[in-house]
Amino acid sequence: MALKPVTTPDAEAPSIELSIDGQPVQSKAGVSLYDVISQTGKIIPAMCYHYTFDPFGSCGMCLVMVEGKKAPVRSCTAKAEAGMVVRCEGDDLHAARKKAVEKHLTIHPLDCPVCDADGHCELQDMAFQHGVQNLVNAKPKGLPEDRRSLVLDINMNRCILCGECINICKDVQMVDALQFFKKEGTTHVVAKGDVGLYCEFDGDCLAVCPVGAITNKYSKYVYKPWQLKKTTSTCAYCADGCQIHLETSGRDVQRITSPLSWKNKWGDRAETAKGHGGLCVRGRFGFQYIDSKERLGMPLLRTDDGLVPKSWYETMEVVVERLSAIKAAHGPNAIAGLITARCTNEELYLFQKLMRAVIGTNQLDSSARYGHLNFTRAMQKAVGIGRMMNSYEDITKAKTLLLIGTDITETNPITSLRVKEAIRVYGAQVIVAHPTLTNIAKLASHPLPIAPAGEAAFIQALVKAVVEQDLVDEAAVGAAPEAFAALKHAVAGLSWDTVTNQVGASKEAILEAARMYAESPRAIILCGEGVVRRADGYTAVLNLVDLAWVTGKLNKPGCGINAIPEEVNEQGAVDMGVAPELLPGQSSYADEEARAKFARVWDVSLPDAQPATSANLMEILDRCRRGAIKALYVVGENPLATLPSGTRVKEALEKLDLLICQDPFLTETAQLAHVVLSASTFAEKNGTFTDLQGRVNRVREALDLFEEARPDWEIFVALGQALGARMDYDSPQAVQSEIMKLLPGYYNLGEPRPVQAHPESYLSQGYAQDVGARYALRGDTAPAGSFSLMLGQVLYHSGKLSTRASGLIKLYPNKGHLKMHPDDLARLQIGEHDAVRVTSGRGSVEMKAEADPDLAVGTCFFPEHFNQPPVKDLTECVTDPVTSVPSFKLTRVTIEKLKGTRA
Amino acid sequence: MSAGTQEKSLLRTVWDAFSFSEIRTAMRVVFRHMFVKPVTFEYPREKRTIPDAHRGALGLLRYDDGEERCVGCDLCEAACPSRCIKVVSAENPDRPLSRYATEFYIDITKCVFCGYCVEACPVNALAMTKMYEYSTADKRSLIFDKAKLYDVGEQHIEDAKRYLYAHNQEKNDADSRAYRYKFPHQVAALTPPQDPS
Repeated sequence: MALKPVTTPDAEAPSIELSIDGQPVQSKAGVSLYDVISQTGKIIPAMCYHYTFDPFGSCGMCLVMVEGKKAPVRSCTAKAEAGMVVRCEGDDLHAARKKAVEKHLTIHPLDCPVCDADGHCELQDMAFQHGVQNLVNAKPKGLPEDRRSLVLDINMNRCILCGECINICKDVQMVDALQFFKKEGTTHVVAKGDVGLYCEFDGDCLAVCPVGAITNKYSKYVYKPWQLKKTTSTCAYCADGCQIHLETSGRDVQRITSPLSWKNKWGDRAETAKGHGGLCVRGRFGFQYIDSKERLGMPLLRTDDGLVPKSWYETMEVVVERLSAIKAAHGPNAIAGLITARCTNEELYLFQKLMRAVIGTNQLDSSARYGHLNFTRAMQKAVGIGRMMNSYEDITKAKTLLLIGTDITETNPITSLRVKEAIRVYGAQVIVAHPTLTNIAKLASHPLPIAPAGEAAFIQALVKAVVEQDLVDEAAVGAAPEAFAALKHAVAGLSWDTVTNQVGASKEAILEAARMYAESPRAIILCGEGVVRRADGYTAVLNLVDLAWVTGKLNKPGCGINAIPEEVNEQGAVDMGVAPELLPGQSSYADEEARAKFARVWDVSLPDAQPATSANLMEILDRCRRGAIKALYVVGENPLATLPSGTRVKEALEKLDLLICQDPFLTETAQLAHVVLSASTFAEKNGTFTDLQGRVNRVREALDLFEEARPDWEIFVALGQALGARMDYDSPQAVQSEIMKLLPGYYNLGEPRPVQAHPESYLSQGYAQDVGARYALRGDTAPAGSFSLMLGQVLYHSGKLSTRASGLIKLYPNKGHLKMHPDDLARLQIGEHDAVRVTSGRGSVEMKAEADPDLAVGTCFFPEHFNQPPVKDLTECVTDPVTSVPSFKLTRVTIEKLKGTRA
Repeated sequence: MSAGTQEKSLLRTVWDAFSFSEIRTAMRVVFRHMFVKPVTFEYPREKRTIPDAHRGALGLLRYDDGEERCVGCDLCEAACPSRCIKVVSAENPDRPLSRYATEFYIDITKCVFCGYCVEACPVNALAMTKMYEYSTADKRSLIFDKAKLYDVGEQHIEDAKRYLYAHNQEKNDADSRAYRYKFPHQVAALTPPQDPS
């Protein structure tokens, strides 16, 4: 049973007073005595203690004398009580602690010179602090090292059995992959079942190991801590905004460490609600792409011999000349731009400024178009907030969490830890509506399996249930009675039979979920790709707003609606206005006044908001195909490998007169390009990323530039200047100060800005007319097929970028296997070595199949990161009617066993 | 000498000039030294005997069976006050679980010959030798790399060993030798080789 923080949002522990070294100290009853002492600023040595989990009390270092007790007590496991008189210094305590260190050292091999923890080892520090000089009867264990795992080597000789790795894995990660295991008279730390460790590889065990018992294969023996330069930056994979320490020597990244470490063991346990400082497998072990041999060191120019490395001078001359020629011949609207949300805020800002103010077109888009814009635009319209409403702390302290269509442990592992902490420490009820039995569903109190693509219907069903079961908040609906009447009328039109049929869950389950959500004082909705990356994602988010509004949870503290963006800076891309409908600061591009403000500051006239001058991702591709767009500037995006072939991206790109790609790697799209500009990765530039909470985190330059690759902002500035604009930024800081002037308070010192929902005008203007259309279940227009093919993210990868990181590919290679439920495999008599043919209206693909019992019967899964075999080409691409978000991660297929294909 | 500062009489000056007194004085010194043992010697034909504790060029040593002693622990780099050492280490592909230095550089132009690196070395892989002749026209050749350092160590192995004894680094003590010489290999020997898959 986890020891709860004594102060929760619901209960306050009584205050007590005790005496520590003669000083009176105020505290809360029930807190670990160790915490009370460390809050006074005194540091007692402890090797098995970490504030993120319950005290374990195995190292015997944190000894203190408590009046009334004869022997020293371990302060970590003792609880503070009123009137305690504690002494934590003295020769007797020093001697007792020294004895404890000696006890650990007698069985420790003194192989410090070859140990990776040398210089970053708590046992070393303790031996030094306590002056251990001689050891009698030193007897190292002499055990072989456990090298069975793919990443983590466990050397039991060095282990001091503090249990930190086991505790953090069990309590914080809730993965519970490690255990103590008695083998031949010695206690070992092994993976559950004494097999090779294969877990989520978040590496928190590695971070908290105070000695060198757990080491990392990817950087084994290649460094000593004092050789490394440590740069604090922000992880560039997902939008969780984790702080990372890039540890580099020369131009090599040797390892990535987290703020979570045995060195930062003192903290307030309640503070973990804001994040525990750890990383996931991608952040910790996916750094190899930065030093990859596949990186582009020089710009490439297409000649008769294909793409040839050329100097920047020559390349830029060609780019500028041809862009100017196209602009002169066909006008600015023959040029369009796409940028990835893996760029920093400053680069995103510069890019949209380059496209709008210098080139003079509003045909630009970012990868936030793949889903996050559905959420931000709907939320903007309904409540005036274009981002997540809740912070990590709100999520951790929620009473009820409603997770819809998100495989949160895979897409955003660190956000999922907030949900896990809510479950474990604060006892939250969690409803997980997802077609698959996801990892979070296994831990949740109320897993709710739904049909594939049933998310939107599930939201409608929840609203219907809330309205019909009279779970509404009278004050909230009383403020907008007309809107509520319209909503009531709209949901009455839905029949429970069709709804439950589409949701794939029973009416009772839906009603229970609705009741739990409505009755909870702090209820938070988290939705993910299953809601926002669908063709009806925009209306689904509006329906979620209805749900929160009628239950009175729009403006209640600790409640809110959140969609989790997948790529690192999707929120920043929206905030910086890299979309044809948005200006920086999320003001509408159609808003004359806002546009005039930016035009004045930039000293240009901006293109108007006519459809002819504006285009989003899908329209840009369409116009490329029609020949209206002659030149496309693609920064870090890879539409060819992302969108299914049904969208005819290749045809569109081949039709272009000039395709400029700017990327650290030669992507599939770049292979078609006329010019490839070699760009830097996040480790080689300064800037900021905006995470899902709206915090703006610093990205810092950790490495020198890779060969002739240049940061994106530098390329934008050079291009802007060459095209004759005044873009005299000498650093990202200069761009930052311009953003600060235009969007006051955007950076807000890295703190999430508080949000306030304002649904009033939305509910009073036009709501009643639109709501009817939103509560009509779409007919089953999906093409026939016996299986639902889902393309989704896996924990070990993020987009296509992570497939360049050899460390992640080692952990999760592309086996090219389709995952199916074992029952389906048995029904179709598909064996381990049999190939299957997967057929959709778009074609068919032959591949092997493997069993995954977590999938629902009738569904199959393929990771979206890999295009070999080209499973993505089987899917249909449907776009959202309002936001044009392309949806292509789900389709119906038929699967048949191929005869005679034994491998 | 007060005589030098005194004004000489005219007679004295004339007498000195006619009797070649400077030459007489000089020759007196020359002839006297014909019968005295000289304090200098004729380098490079003759060389001075150098004490065992002399701090000369650094060399890397091998065990008697030819195996490299260095485990790439980088303590020498950490100890070096003039920052002239650079070590790059890795896991030995032939002997899993043993660490070795893939690259080892000592910039001898920066070295101050303090001997701290030798003192820091846990396996006595580094030692100073009696070698001091490495003047060159090419300064770049004074950055000793791993091959050069092992070369120095091999050519001056006896001197290196004497240096370690003289500085109390290596004792003729069976226990200490067992510890040092088997250093990280005990665990390595026990661990089964990794599955190539």
